[in-house]
Amino acid sequence: MAYTVSRNIKLTWWERLYLPEVIRGIIITSRHFFKNLFGFIPFFLGKKKDREIFTVYYPEQMAKLPIAYRGRPVLAVNEKGRHNCVACGLCEAACPAYCIDIIPAENTGKQNEVERWPKEFTIDYAVCIFCGNCEEACPEEAIFMSDDFEISMLDRSKMKYNLQQLSVPIEKLKDRIEFTRRMYGKWNY
Amino acid sequence: MFDINWIELFVTLVKIGFILFVTVGFFAPILTWVERKQSAIMQDRIGANRADIMGFTALGLFHILADGLKMFTKEDFIPDGANRVLHTMSPIIALIPAIVTFAVVPFGGVYDLFGVKVNLVVSDLDVGLLFVFAIASLATYGYAIAGWSSNNNWSLLGSLRVASQMISYEVTMGLTIVGVLMVYGTMKLTEIGAAQESLWMWGIFLQPVGFFMFFAASIAENKRIPFDNPEAESELVAGYFTEYSGLKFGMFFMAEFIEMVTIAAIVTILFFGAWHIPFLTTETLLSWFHILGTTGANLIVMLIHVGVFFAKVIFFIWFQMTIRWTLPRFRYDQIMKLGWKILLPLSLANILVTGIVILAVK
Repeated sequence: MAYTVSRNIKLTWWERLYLPEVIRGIIITSRHFFKNLFGFIPFFLGKKKDREIFTVYYPEQMAKLPIAYRGRPVLAVNEKGRHNCVACGLCEAACPAYCIDIIPAENTGKQNEVERWPKEFTIDYAVCIFCGNCEEACPEEAIFMSDDFEISMLDRSKMKYNLQQLSVPIEKLKDRIEFTRRMYGKWNY
Repeated sequence: MFDINWIELFVTLVKIGFILFVTVGFFAPILTWVERKQSAIMQDRIGANRADIMGFTALGLFHILADGLKMFTKEDFIPDGANRVLHTMSPIIALIPAIVTFAVVPFGGVYDLFGVKVNLVVSDLDVGLLFVFAIASLATYGYAIAGWSSNNNWSLLGSLRVASQMISYEVTMGLTIVGVLMVYGTMKLTEIGAAQESLWMWGIFLQPVGFFMFFAASIAENKRIPFDNPEAESELVAGYFTEYSGLKFGMFFMAEFIEMVTIAAIVTILFFGAWHIPFLTTETLLSWFHILGTTGANLIVMLIHVGVFFAKVIFFIWFQMTIRWTLPRFRYDQIMKLGWKILLPLSLANILVTGIVILAVK
């Protein structure tokens, strides 16, 4: 969809007078001013819901993030309490920043057990660039980008999250799973 | 021996104290808050509201305290190679004229209090209007010296722009007020204010073009958006006060805000009926309160007039803020073009038309 911007706008004589357009601009800003003034400066006069303020009081309120938002990558834990991850190492290979570290474990012949699982799974958020390539590479719907972005630490070593810290129940990731299926078309081939 | 009129001295000191309280003590700090909050409201934001004392934020008013504390405790940094004396002096040179101009600004008429004629102006000069422009132009030295003494290219560019802009717009300003002087026939700001008792004698009706030109030129003099080339953040970091920190930086800001108040006051006096209420003469007001005696009635009328005057001043401060947060900055050549090619011929034509009209009416 080509979007063209006309750079050579010929001003009409009314616009070239400058003053009327200035007054028009001032009327627009003043309208916003008075509308908002009775909306929230005396907060008891206006209805909080109807106001047109975009600002979110961050630590107290959270902004509603779009589902495509790429926060920290997490590992999904399915209904049986096991990780979806099979420790194939594709995310490790896809990671451009080399922040993922996997030590796999294998089934040694037990019946009714999964074949492979990650013994250790470490993501260093200090290195992660939040590109989402791990999510795209994952064949098992195991790793997802969550909407959590509050991962600042005072100590760099604490930025390394292990398997337990990374685990998130799959119910919390429902929307993101839908989104990835739509986005990457994983189940279409 | 000296014959000191103690009553007059006392009254003058009270007036000086009042002016200092209103400009430095009230308007300068409160305008830092107003600027943030008003811009936020106009842009559908919330604005400063985080500074709190025991959980009370008071709509962000404590940010004034926080700002003041920050400026007091900040390191006062003078860069290497800067001229230390001039670097220290320039904020003072910039701030003092802004306050001194208020000496001739009348904020009320003449009132009869306890048998003393109280004229609500610190110094009723015959050349009041000229005094305002003479002193206000002195502030330019502060800005020019600030840029030069900082030993910084951005500062120097900023101060050069201040100087050129000041020269360009001072001409327009001076020629614009000639129209006002011709209409009222006096340079005393008190007499100009007193002449505007009836609504149709207001300057806005007698000098409508003059008002717009004067307002534009005075905003340019104050270096605020859309004429803020001297401190253009995106081009010159902070212009002439790039190298300033702490309370010196705060003094530049205070000077700007006090100049805003001065502009609002001068515009109110010249064009918007000074302390008069439309359709309400002073005699009418006095006759309403005549049961309180001469002093009581005068006192109440004085309070009403001072209130009306500052209400008008606050309106024009609001208006300047609105302009500042509505319009984008002019390019440098556009400023010069507007000043020399549009406003200057217009102001000359304004004088001509005013003269013809005055001749025709007489």
